[in-house]
Amino acid sequence: MEDVHERELVERCRSGDEHAFQELVDRHKDLVFALIARTVQDRSRAEDLAQDVFLRIHRGLPYFRGEARLSTWIYRIVANVCLQEHGHTPATVSFDDERTRAKAMPSAPDRQFGDLELRDRLEKAIARLPANYRLLIAAHYLNGVQYEGLADALQLPLGTVKTQLYRAKRQLRRLLETDLK
Amino acid sequence: MFCDEALDSVEAIAAGDLAPDGRVASHLATCPNCALALEGARRLEASLRRRAAPTAPAEFTSRTLARIRRARWRSDQFLDVGFNVAILLVVVSVVAGVWMLLNRTGIVSVSGDAVNVFGSGFVALARRVAPALPLYAGAAALLVSALAIWWWAERDAAL
Repeated sequence: MEDVHERELVERCRSGDEHAFQELVDRHKDLVFALIARTVQDRSRAEDLAQDVFLRIHRGLPYFRGEARLSTWIYRIVANVCLQEHGHTPATVSFDDERTRAKAMPSAPDRQFGDLELRDRLEKAIARLPANYRLLIAAHYLNGVQYEGLADALQLPLGTVKTQLYRAKRQLRRLLETDLK
Repeated sequence: MFCDEALDSVEAIAAGDLAPDGRVASHLATCPNCALALEGARRLEASLRRRAAPTAPAEFTSRTLARIRRARWRSDQFLDVGFNVAILLVVVSVVAGVWMLLNRTGIVSVSGDAVNVFGSGFVALARRVAPALPLYAGAAALLVSALAIWWWAERDAAL
């Protein structure tokens, strides 16, 4: 039912119905904005980039073949915009970062993490992650974006997405531990 | 079982993607460092899940649609200018081509004489017509006014 409505919405957008495109923006704006805001930190820049995403969607809709879900296609555009913002070329993005293979050895200060303190430090630590890891974490921890959706959006195998997420979290944990030392 | 091996699965266990098997579970139970890592990973997982999602500004949709309209207008303008330039280039090329063709075939000198003949004819005609020009202008104005009134009346009838 949802898919049928989505297809109808896309068709209406393609035929130049501005109200339909407005509905599309309203439906996806929070997710797009949240993903970008969690990746680029600066709120006004995040809004600019979120608008870029919808501009690309508007230009690309005539070429959207409907093979993937609309939301998957939108995540893909978000990923491209976020990674380009950080000077990456999407086609050559490597999710393999040797530095992250280093083992995160636990340490005594680990005990000192209070939940509140962790939350404050968390944002700073996330900002220090590579852009691709930030994007993965941002996307995975937003409602409705599961491993499968991420794999589709980033055109990566499911296993790779999971492995990269574990590495991102390991690096994040290491950053938090180092911060406490 | 070494710590490296257990630490490799700590994030997956914390995320609930992996249930620790017997070996890993017993290592985690006996190695304080690995147990601490798992505890840290679980806290991190919980904090990441609790992070509030930023919401789009209230005017986001209207600003986005306005930006799309501006972009479309700019794109249309660009197309218009491009089209006009292309047409101008085509006209200039055609005129230049015709001129070169005439020049090479010697028709230009013949046509120059023809232009002189026609030119003197036009001058004589203009001299004869000049005194009656205000009359012609008045008649043309009357005709245009009549056409405008007819068009206006037709349009109102259609509405």
